[in-house]
Amino acid sequence: MTASTIHDRDDLISYLRTAMVLEHATIPTYLTAYYSIKSTTNSDAAHIIRVVATEEMLHLTLVANVLNAIGGTPDLTSPGFVPSFPTYLPDGEDDFTIDLRPLSPEAVDMFCKIERPGKAPSPSTRLIRESDDEPALLVSSPTAAGMRFYSIGEFYAEIIEGLQKVAANDPGLFRGNPARQVGPESFYSGGGVVIPVSDLDSAQRALRFIAAQGEGLDSGMYDGDGELAHYYRFRQLRLGRYYQLGDHPDAPSGPPLSIAWDDVYRVKVSAKLADYPVGSEIADAARKFNADYGAFLAMVTQAFNGQPGLLREAVWHMFRLRDVFNRLVGNPLPGGDGLHAAPTFEIPTTAGSDPDASRSAGETAQAVTR
Amino acid sequence: MYVKFPKDAAKRTDPEAAAEVVYDAVIVGGGIAGAIIASRLSDAGRRVLILEAGPAEDLTLRGYESYLDRFYSSTSKDNQAPYPVVANCPFPRGADARRIFPGAPDASAYIVQSGPLATDTTYTRVLGGTTMHWEAKTPRMLPEDFQMRTLYGEGADWPLHYEDLSPYYNEAEREIGVSADVADQAYLGITFDKDYVFPMKGLPLSYLDKMVARDVNGMPVELDGERRELRVRPFPQGRNGIPNPAYDGGKGYMPRGAVSSYQVEVGGRCQGNNNCVPICPVQAKYNAGKTLAAALRGGRVDLVAQAVAYRVRLDERTQRVTEIEYRRYERPDSPRFTTMKARGRLFILAANAVENPRLMLASGLRGSSGLMGRNFMDHAYLLAWALLPEVAGTFRGTNCTGGITDLRGGRFRRRQAAFSVDIHNDGWGWARGAPMSDLVDLVDAGGRYGENLRQGLVDRVSRQLQLAFMVEVPADPSNRITVDPAFTDNLGNMRPILTYAIPDYTMRGVAYARQLSKRIFARLGAEDHTEYDPNFWGYAVYGGEGYEIRGGNHLAGTHMMGRDPSSSVVNADQRCWDYQNLYLVGGGSMPTVSTANVTLTLAALCLRSVRAMLAQLDSETAPIEVTGNGATQRQPQEVTR
Repeated sequence: MTASTIHDRDDLISYLRTAMVLEHATIPTYLTAYYSIKSTTNSDAAHIIRVVATEEMLHLTLVANVLNAIGGTPDLTSPGFVPSFPTYLPDGEDDFTIDLRPLSPEAVDMFCKIERPGKAPSPSTRLIRESDDEPALLVSSPTAAGMRFYSIGEFYAEIIEGLQKVAANDPGLFRGNPARQVGPESFYSGGGVVIPVSDLDSAQRALRFIAAQGEGLDSGMYDGDGELAHYYRFRQLRLGRYYQLGDHPDAPSGPPLSIAWDDVYRVKVSAKLADYPVGSEIADAARKFNADYGAFLAMVTQAFNGQPGLLREAVWHMFRLRDVFNRLVGNPLPGGDGLHAAPTFEIPTTAGSDPDASRSAGETAQAVTR
Repeated sequence: MYVKFPKDAAKRTDPEAAAEVVYDAVIVGGGIAGAIIASRLSDAGRRVLILEAGPAEDLTLRGYESYLDRFYSSTSKDNQAPYPVVANCPFPRGADARRIFPGAPDASAYIVQSGPLATDTTYTRVLGGTTMHWEAKTPRMLPEDFQMRTLYGEGADWPLHYEDLSPYYNEAEREIGVSADVADQAYLGITFDKDYVFPMKGLPLSYLDKMVARDVNGMPVELDGERRELRVRPFPQGRNGIPNPAYDGGKGYMPRGAVSSYQVEVGGRCQGNNNCVPICPVQAKYNAGKTLAAALRGGRVDLVAQAVAYRVRLDERTQRVTEIEYRRYERPDSPRFTTMKARGRLFILAANAVENPRLMLASGLRGSSGLMGRNFMDHAYLLAWALLPEVAGTFRGTNCTGGITDLRGGRFRRRQAAFSVDIHNDGWGWARGAPMSDLVDLVDAGGRYGENLRQGLVDRVSRQLQLAFMVEVPADPSNRITVDPAFTDNLGNMRPILTYAIPDYTMRGVAYARQLSKRIFARLGAEDHTEYDPNFWGYAVYGGEGYEIRGGNHLAGTHMMGRDPSSSVVNADQRCWDYQNLYLVGGGSMPTVSTANVTLTLAALCLRSVRAMLAQLDSETAPIEVTGNGATQRQPQEVTR
């Protein structure tokens, strides 16, 4: 077995910060596919993507709880927290990038790869040496230089073991202020209940839940609550049928589902602000979205830093983000061969404090409240 | 957690095969009353057949979304807009109402209205019933509402007291999934069990509610010598909120989300959309599909849809119901049907307070008391609207979150009707069609567009305040449902004929409500824009003043319960006095409509009646043999208890 890369609380904090980056990183890609779907069409696909996206938000919150429990400080505003798309996400292979794509067979394949169950062939292969020609990977080990994880599941396995080890030597590990925990009062997600973390047991439970619900720590189809793991949810889109309990992974036997691939706005893949004509309304809206998204992450950061009640405000913030998202994807790009615009998720580094950003965010607020 | 609707449950029962089965209970109607009774009887091991008039389609998320699509794309956002017109099971629609002129009934829509007052009251004949479109306010009735005759000499007494119904209120609040705080709901004599909490915590008041509360809280009102202070209070709601960890002795509560035949995760919590009526976009609002799906999963409940009850058939000798004859249409768009029969030991009409008496009367069963169909009640709604002096965020939040309930009860009820007041988060929507009417006006009359139009709309609607006074209507035998073979529907079913007038008792309440609205507006510094149109279909004059009266869709009273067979149709268990194996359930059993929206109370009544039904099934031990013509040969004997 590879030697543990987690030795003390600082290592844990580094790992949990990385975990937050990781949990957030897939949200923009899921949202882009989700909002590319034309309204009133593709109900099946929309709901499947939606539930996975909201569960990633739950995972983000759970990691924040673990980080807070050991006295860390969650921060969703630091430079690079939102990756620049396309990006890599290590699930043990480097055969694909994560893009911001419209719903398409390629997008579904990408989702399946993101959520692909991945248990290392042996405990000694959990950590893999990064090769020189690879770009930086999100789940590189934050403490062992040049190493990355075989899969997201193995990444969490490392933290779960690390928690146990550090807690054994440090009775005061769980020193965080309990008031910073986000409980079910403040956070609601369709796919599971948020777990407040106060000790080793609850911390491990929270992380095991994430691993099981996403990629399947033990490669089972269902998690402990009988919920289908993300990978299998997406697979249904390729197989054209819902799973029922007891089905073989290759032969779902539930109700049929269908996708109308053409009822989708063909948004430009991983578009950048630079792709939008200078001074155009599209560019303005995309910039505004980025600023709003940055402000939203700043608000969530506050929520994760002692004001969990702020997450209720997050609800209407998300509705507002949705509105701009829809405006962008509904608009063809000038000279773009029929491709449509989409948010670029290039978050201004000073979001939240940048005067331009707050001014543009304030404009809509005025139109609604004045 | 989503509510799994068993695949093909709406289609899998073959009506031919079902006709050969003697069910423990045959239920007419797949709304909340039928669903609750089916679920509880089947939980107790009984076999149940539900006959549903609406189309035979599983409750799937996609099906639900087709309702949403129809609503979003329809020009008229009336309270039935999501639900398709099916001529074989027609139902009233909000836009149906026409002014009625003396001697000329209006037969242009499904309910034939002979007036004198027209009403736009509605109900929804689809699987899940009117809970698909209800607003989901779930106030309990006041203890005094059960004793109106004794206390105030008005209306009727119930054969039950609040305390009799209280445990069933608890159970109904669990079934529906009610969000409320006991501290807000214990008023005017409403009591709760020690340590009771609602399944979910109370939903927040809207910003508009708080703006109104700022000036209205503490406003003194003197009525019949009693002084009271008004207060804006949150309503209990059948919408998912934050589960209360203290519920059920600390076991908590798991909200039930959307109904679907395949896995979805939506509806676990209200998102604050503004169209609870006519349809919640995410099913955070309870609908009876949630109860029905659970009942159908148990395997002892069969459902035959596209089955419109035509006649209740009796054995003349024993005066027991032997079967329900129904017309099963092949397709929603074709009038072709097959006559079928459903047989059982108990028969339960759970179709609603219009359809229950309609079916009974169409079967020639007028009741020995002559009261079948009489004492029709609804709420009389009076709207008053004004512009607030500052922006109040109207159109934020769900349709209605708070209101004024201090005038629901009191000694004044000797003279005039009580009411509950809703603060409408959808502005002048109900009264004047906001925000669409504002939009059209800004474009057509104002020539506005773009940013200017957007801001103009915000300026106009965000100061709108509409108060809706929900005024009680006492039982009056001349307000009634009848039938006439001259008026039939697509399948040859007789249509309901409604005769309806607002009693002076109610009009005194209406007149008082209007005066109170003026005082409230003055206190708020609001500009009163209320104006009642003499050409409005529900225009009623009282004391020289005219008012627009609207229907409440809170149907009650047409088969009233009582202690005496000569002055009521059913007993306290909702069992028909005349036919011992027939139950007429729902709002029709209620002797007073009081000032509570009826669904919670009728759900509680049905939960209570299940006990009597099970006791009757247990006690009638003799086997039933059924002959080819459907008549029972040997009669089950009811054991006297």
